[in-house]
Amino acid sequence: MAPNPLSRKLRLGLLQVETRLGDIAGNKERIKALMQQAHEQGVDLAVTPELATLGFGSGDIYLDKVDENLMALEEIREFAGDLGLWTIVGFVDRTPLGFFHNAAALIGDGKIQGKYYKVQLVNYRLFDEKRYFAPGHRLPVFSTPFGRIGILICEDVWFPEPARALTFRGAEILIVLSASPYTTTKVKTWQNFLQERVLDNLLPVAFANQAGIQDGVTYWGGSMVFSARGELLAMAPLLEEHLLVVDVDLEEARTLRRRDLRVREVRREILEELLRAYDEMTRENG
Amino acid sequence: MMNGRIQPELPVSELPVITRILVKSIQTRVEKVGAKGGLVALSGGIDSSLVALLTQQALGDRMLALIMPEEGVTPEWDLRDALNLVEQHQIPHRVIAINDAVALFQSYMPDNDFPEAVRRLALANVKPRVRMILNYLYANLLGYIVVGTSNKTELLLGYGTKYGDLAADIYPIGDLYKTQVWQLAEYLGLPANIIKKKPSAGLWKGQTDEEELGHTYAEIDRVLFCLVDLELSVRETAQVLEIPEEAVQDLYQRVIRNEHKRRPPTITRISSMCLDKDWRYPVERY
Repeated sequence: MAPNPLSRKLRLGLLQVETRLGDIAGNKERIKALMQQAHEQGVDLAVTPELATLGFGSGDIYLDKVDENLMALEEIREFAGDLGLWTIVGFVDRTPLGFFHNAAALIGDGKIQGKYYKVQLVNYRLFDEKRYFAPGHRLPVFSTPFGRIGILICEDVWFPEPARALTFRGAEILIVLSASPYTTTKVKTWQNFLQERVLDNLLPVAFANQAGIQDGVTYWGGSMVFSARGELLAMAPLLEEHLLVVDVDLEEARTLRRRDLRVREVRREILEELLRAYDEMTRENG
Repeated sequence: MMNGRIQPELPVSELPVITRILVKSIQTRVEKVGAKGGLVALSGGIDSSLVALLTQQALGDRMLALIMPEEGVTPEWDLRDALNLVEQHQIPHRVIAINDAVALFQSYMPDNDFPEAVRRLALANVKPRVRMILNYLYANLLGYIVVGTSNKTELLLGYGTKYGDLAADIYPIGDLYKTQVWQLAEYLGLPANIIKKKPSAGLWKGQTDEEELGHTYAEIDRVLFCLVDLELSVRETAQVLEIPEEAVQDLYQRVIRNEHKRRPPTITRISSMCLDKDWRYPVERY
């Protein structure tokens, strides 16, 4: 296949899984079934929502089922290897010292190519992530046969800085794994946040959200992809399990950046000033 | 920024998704606990009529509407509205008058030892508790869960009988203010006479909620919405709504006084794994 220099398509498959909290065997089967479908539709990169193996929802269940979730990840890795499907999976990782992380694994060629740990843990209203997880501190960009990929998890994308760092590291697309609970107007709020990250960074952004209800909390689904121009390319239905397959052009960002200066004219002095301002704020309030 | 027209209105564009969420939450609980269906106590008022419709959408025929009038107290139009609703929507139902059971409990009341107002309230609370016993009698017989009909306004004000009408397995409309219940009922096409009639807990003849509470639901909901959802102080709420601070304070005190009705009984902590404090598990888990 001759490469078209003006277009480089990545076929994404967002696996909008209807997870059930603690039902790791069931969640794993649901993930694998959607991976199979994604493979059949020629998907290059499949993405699950946040904590797809375990399910989301505050509760000490996270502490009980980490081993089982790690075994499920192994099985998904093997399955991805059999399919030859690159896959990003949301799961709970455990370090040798026994720290837990809200994590994403990038699986390619049947191997774990890298891991990402959520940097902005959520601890307001119904959320209680700091009770369980340690925050990540690194924002790596992963090389794949399809392009350079930056991974973020849910709340990470409500802040401009993580996406910015991935942009500076040469990410060609931002992949966001999420388990976002519904409240009125939440869908629009998320669209705004995703679009803001796109417009800041001139990058396509893909968002894979959970579907389903647990203890009266609804994960609203609606997985979606924005082009580097900020257009909504596709959106999955709300509330239901769904596989959303979308072709994303990774060259568009480069074209846009020829005349749009928002990335290449970021000034080091201003970033340093930002850090100084941050230090002042935390010193005065911390 | 604020003005006197603040009210807790659901975004009209989201009424379809909100309906689906409420329906799905009923299905999810029934599935999770392995129940065979759901039971709704139907008074012919707006809350229980709405919940009956949602339960039918969720479970079809796997439901029972228990209509439990107190002859001589329950207005005949309530009974008629309840019967019309179940007939129109072909909802499985049963009618049981609670007079005999109430009379039995009344016969246990001591004579003359208590002021009339105290006797009246204590006896009034027997009625929803008799209905609760019938709810669970039938729920146990049928293997159903009890789908509660309390709304956010009632839950905040404690306007409900503990272990009476408040006794249920789930509250699908428990995060909707009364005025939002009206909005959703209209959207779902509930009969106008059910929507328009004066809300009544039906505890004694001629009772109306708004008279007993001393304010209209529209006024109450605006105050509660400011205090709870917008997190304004009593003073700020009074300023924003341009109403006397005492009226707000009165409702605020009611909210505080009734926290106990929104919680299971408090457990005195002795161990480091106290079941209502340290042990944190959701109900719908696997």
